[in-house]
Amino acid sequence: MKEGIAEFCLKKAQEFGCKYVEVRFEKRSSNSFVMKNGNLEISGFDITSGIGIRYKINNNIGFISFNRFDKDKISSLLKKSVSSTINSSRMAKDIYFSDEKKEVARYNVGQKEKIEDFTEDRKIKILKDIDKEIKAIPQRYLSLSDEIAEKYYINSEGSRIHSLIPRISFMYFITVSENNKSVQKYLPHGACSGYESIKKWDLEKKIPEQVLILENNLMNGIKSKKEKMDLIIGSEVTGIAVHESVGHPYEADRILGREAAQAGESFINVNMINKKIASNIVNVIEDPTLENSYGFYLYDDEGVKARKKYLIKKGMINEFLHNRETAFEMNNKSNGCSRANNYDVEPMIRMSNTYVEPGDSSEEEIIKETNKGIYMKSYMQWNIDDKRYHQRYTGSEAYLIEKGELTKPVFAPVMEITTPNLWSSVDIIGDKIEMYAGNCGKGNPMQGIPVYFGGPVMRLRNIMVK
Amino acid sequence: MEDIIHHIKNQLKKKEVDDIVLGFSEREGKHIKFVNNKVVKTGYELTSEISIFCSKDRKIISTSLKDMSKAKADELIKKIIRFSKNIQPSNDYYGIAEGPFNYKSKIDYDKRIMDANELDVLEKGMNKALENSKRVSGDLEIWHLNNHLITSGNVDVSDKSSSIYFSIRAFNKKDESGHMTCCSNTLRNLEVEKTSERAAEIASLAKNPKEIKSGRYKVIFSQMAFAPLLNNISDAASIYNVESGFSFLNELNKNYGNFTLEDDATLPDGFNSCRFDDEGVPTKKTVMIDKGILKTYLHNTSTARKYNLKTTANAGLISPRPFNIVFDCKKGDVFDVKDGIYITNIWYTRFQNYHNGDFSTIPRDGAFLIKNGKISQSLKGLRISDNMLNLLKNIKCCSRKVLQIKSWEAEIPAFTPEVLINNINITKPTQ
Repeated sequence: MKEGIAEFCLKKAQEFGCKYVEVRFEKRSSNSFVMKNGNLEISGFDITSGIGIRYKINNNIGFISFNRFDKDKISSLLKKSVSSTINSSRMAKDIYFSDEKKEVARYNVGQKEKIEDFTEDRKIKILKDIDKEIKAIPQRYLSLSDEIAEKYYINSEGSRIHSLIPRISFMYFITVSENNKSVQKYLPHGACSGYESIKKWDLEKKIPEQVLILENNLMNGIKSKKEKMDLIIGSEVTGIAVHESVGHPYEADRILGREAAQAGESFINVNMINKKIASNIVNVIEDPTLENSYGFYLYDDEGVKARKKYLIKKGMINEFLHNRETAFEMNNKSNGCSRANNYDVEPMIRMSNTYVEPGDSSEEEIIKETNKGIYMKSYMQWNIDDKRYHQRYTGSEAYLIEKGELTKPVFAPVMEITTPNLWSSVDIIGDKIEMYAGNCGKGNPMQGIPVYFGGPVMRLRNIMVK
Repeated sequence: MEDIIHHIKNQLKKKEVDDIVLGFSEREGKHIKFVNNKVVKTGYELTSEISIFCSKDRKIISTSLKDMSKAKADELIKKIIRFSKNIQPSNDYYGIAEGPFNYKSKIDYDKRIMDANELDVLEKGMNKALENSKRVSGDLEIWHLNNHLITSGNVDVSDKSSSIYFSIRAFNKKDESGHMTCCSNTLRNLEVEKTSERAAEIASLAKNPKEIKSGRYKVIFSQMAFAPLLNNISDAASIYNVESGFSFLNELNKNYGNFTLEDDATLPDGFNSCRFDDEGVPTKKTVMIDKGILKTYLHNTSTARKYNLKTTANAGLISPRPFNIVFDCKKGDVFDVKDGIYITNIWYTRFQNYHNGDFSTIPRDGAFLIKNGKISQSLKGLRISDNMLNLLKNIKCCSRKVLQIKSWEAEIPAFTPEVLINNINITKPTQ
């Protein structure tokens, strides 16, 4: 059914004069469960399906979406939409796309523990088993959800791409209190896979461990003095920093101002390719093709084949994230970064899986080589300005380092630093990568999209910590 | 559609489902995005669905139907029953509201809103802003919504609503920008030109911004800057967030400062106003914080019954939610400060600890040093790193002029004045 209706939409848009047309049919089947303080608050399931059509007429972009598939209705809606886009041409920008290869493909992500076979009671048991381990703390919020996203993408240049991607996600938010003081931790997990990933996350062990860490930090954590020192950041902090201050500012639509009134612009400009931005040992990769990653895809929502790319190579800005529009404007080829979070929104430039390439030092070696400093292993609060220049990370699990050893927990150390200084301060990079899931917001209407970010432990040399 | 929605209700009743809430919605929308003085996308959307909330033996299920055929509805009902066998009861569930109810609120409605010439509206706004700025970007959205709610609690009510939203950010040189939004339920009340003029005015005042020292300052929040914080404060008043640890308003009848905070879905011009909440209870004004005292949390019927209270008509069927926030405090000249900072927008508010209120947020667009009541210097590179309870305690006074603000960072519309708050901690990058 989806092929037929998608082809109908494409043909109809062409009949109305659209020179370029792309049609996305998406069907998402999902389940979600929320447990609050031990109580199963709600269980839900949903199936959404619909079509989004993006087209060019007189080089202006129009977009239409609907979730009812009556052909007469589709024709009249399309006609209305195209007419509205034609009317806007007196104020519209001429938009051109980079030339890209026609792609015909069919791919899906395999599952060992299939979402569709994993019954609701087993999903709820996952939450109950975790909750049982941490029920001594009064405020605990757990959510588990899964989704199977089926997509059929076609465009007027001949691309035809089917994909089927299962995705599971879990989030915990806990509050640990003692003597009128409290600390909190929030951490999402996610994978494009079946339920086998839950085992890998080892939540029944890791979350109680996190409770002990928070308790230790709350009861014994010392406040750090404001001074310059070496700051070691854990994979979790490396991950959020690489997402916020490398991935986002390298999105070419931001650089060109397309997100100015929403998620903002960028301190990076079009002439900064090959400019030094980090220490020589820093390499940052963006790669949608990582198997089972939360941000996985093989073809983007403009039908362009996804590939691994270096955003930073040996400390130099190497490549931006492009769609076909920004690639044309910068005389380039798209590198497959166009994504929409559902059928009813336009695709835009998004990250997928972004990480710092590992170095060759172990975590132990990095600590040992640090005479005085702090190890900020994880964080809770973070933010960054809308040009992605001025950011702050506040530690969750953190320790004082004295003469190469972790000595005491440190309560909420703060790194508030500019992007060039952060990345230029990196002097040792760890040899192991850990990745973390997130849902990244951009655009209007707001599109939260699954992303994955991480990297190794890194040492930032001689920076101010508060 | 009437047939299907009643068919679902009847079939679920036959299957001995206890509580049923069915909400049909049909949403039609137009969207124009403009960037650097040019339209870059025209969008059109038409979607419809029936949202379904039901409980069987206190097992709570939420789902929806998008394909409005009887066959698909029957399939869905079978799945609901099968699903309910595999899940567990909620010990925290106490049912839905029992109607029927009378609905008295009159909300502004523009039945011709979808016929509005969106390009004319946009052009007026862009041209006005470009009188005083070099480039503008933003969005114009127009929506029409049909709603029909029926429940097993004797609710059968329908409504129509219309809305229009405009956001414009004006730019001059590097780091010189101003942002303003406006929203309305009717085209005639949308103040596009005033909004655009204000965005451009801020951008033009933001010349040659400089950094200032970290420290504690008196801060004047513009309406646009204060609305996102009001979103955080009102979210914290939902009982669901209090129970989950997402709230810093942890004690009823405690004094949190000297201000009043209401939720009011009955305001005729409230952007989120509606005659009934998600379980069909007639909406009303709820004073959450009265002269500083936290009087009530926001409740639906189930959460209210848990605490032997009455619903505040703020369903959200699981999580009660505010509709339109209304803030007030002592009136005064907010610019009557010897040394202070005027902030016109914020973004990226994040909490280190929701429970104790530690947070930071980043001023964006024009920010200004105020000396003796006058703008003396444009500023950049600021961050507010403080605690929400301190912020509330330090609210000093507010302007008489109130604006309704909805924005990317303030999803819940807020009627807010400009607000002067003492002793706000300003930080900046240390290198």
